[in-house]
Amino acid sequence: MASTFTVLYFASAHTYTGKSEDAVPGPMTIAKLFPYLEEKYPGFRKKVLSSCALSVNLDYVDLVEDAEKEIQNGDEVGIIPPVSSG
Amino acid sequence: MAETPEPPTQRAFDGIKSIEDTTTFVGLTYDKLDITASIDRVRSPKAGAVVAFVGTTRDNFEGKSVSTLEYTTYTPLALRTLSTIINSLKSTNPTTLHAISVTHRLGIVPVGEDSIVIALSTSHRAEGWRIAEECLELVKDRVEIWKREWFVDGGVWRANRDGGKGVIEDGGGGDGEEGGVPVEYLEQEDR
Repeated sequence: MASTFTVLYFASAHTYTGKSEDAVPGPMTIAKLFPYLEEKYPGFRKKVLSSCALSVNLDYVDLVEDAEKEIQNGDEVGIIPPVSSG
Repeated sequence: MAETPEPPTQRAFDGIKSIEDTTTFVGLTYDKLDITASIDRVRSPKAGAVVAFVGTTRDNFEGKSVSTLEYTTYTPLALRTLSTIINSLKSTNPTTLHAISVTHRLGIVPVGEDSIVIALSTSHRAEGWRIAEECLELVKDRVEIWKREWFVDGGVWRANRDGGKGVIEDGGGGDGEEGGVPVEYLEQEDR
C-alpha cells in the first residue's frame, strides 16, 4: 500500500515548481492540499494555484464543496491551470 | 535575459492516443496531423456535408513575434473531456450529426502547421457549420491542453478564457482572475 498520493503539475504549475509531479504523504483533506503546497513552494498559491482547478483520479473536485473530502494514498491529483488548446 | 526555446518536449507516447467507436473519434498525437484521415473517418452515406476545421499556429500574438509554440496535456483527462464533448454533441444532434472526429497535436508545433483538426459529417451543410463551431468553442474552453508561446524574450503559457491574454503584466491586484498568472512566473525556465 502506497504511503503517498501523486500530485501532477501542468503548464504554469509545472513551470513554477520545476517539476512534473510530487509524492505527497496522505491521506489529506482537499482543504489542506493548497496550504501544504504553498509551504513547499512559497508564492505558489497566490501566483498559480488561485487560478487552478483540481482533479482527483480524473474527476474534478470542488475546492469549497469537497473541502473535507480525503485524498487517499495512491490517488492521482491534477493541478489544472486555465486551458489553452486550439 | 532572453531564453532560448528548449529542445522539443519529450514525447509521452508515440503514434496517436485515442478513444473511438464507430462514429466518434478523439485523438492526441505528437505527429503531424493527417487532415485526409480525419475527413475519411467521418464519411457517411447518410451525410450531405463534411465540414472540416483546421487550426494553425500563428507567428504573432498582438504584434509580438512568436518563434515557437508548444502544447502539453494531461493525456487521460484531455481524452476523457474530448469524448464528453463529442458525445454530448452527438446526443443533442441525434439525427443530423452522423460522425465526428477531433484530433489535437502536442509538443512543438512549428509556426504555420496544424494544431487541431475537427471533421464531422451532417445531413446538410448548415448544421455542419454550426456544430463544428460549437465543438471548437467547447474544446477551447474545456480540454486540458496548454499552449506555450515562445517570444524572443521568453515563454508565456496562454489561457483561452480571458480573451487570449493569459497573463497579468503588473503581477498585482489581479490575483484570482481566471487565466491570470503574472508574466514573471511564466517566463521562468521550465525544467
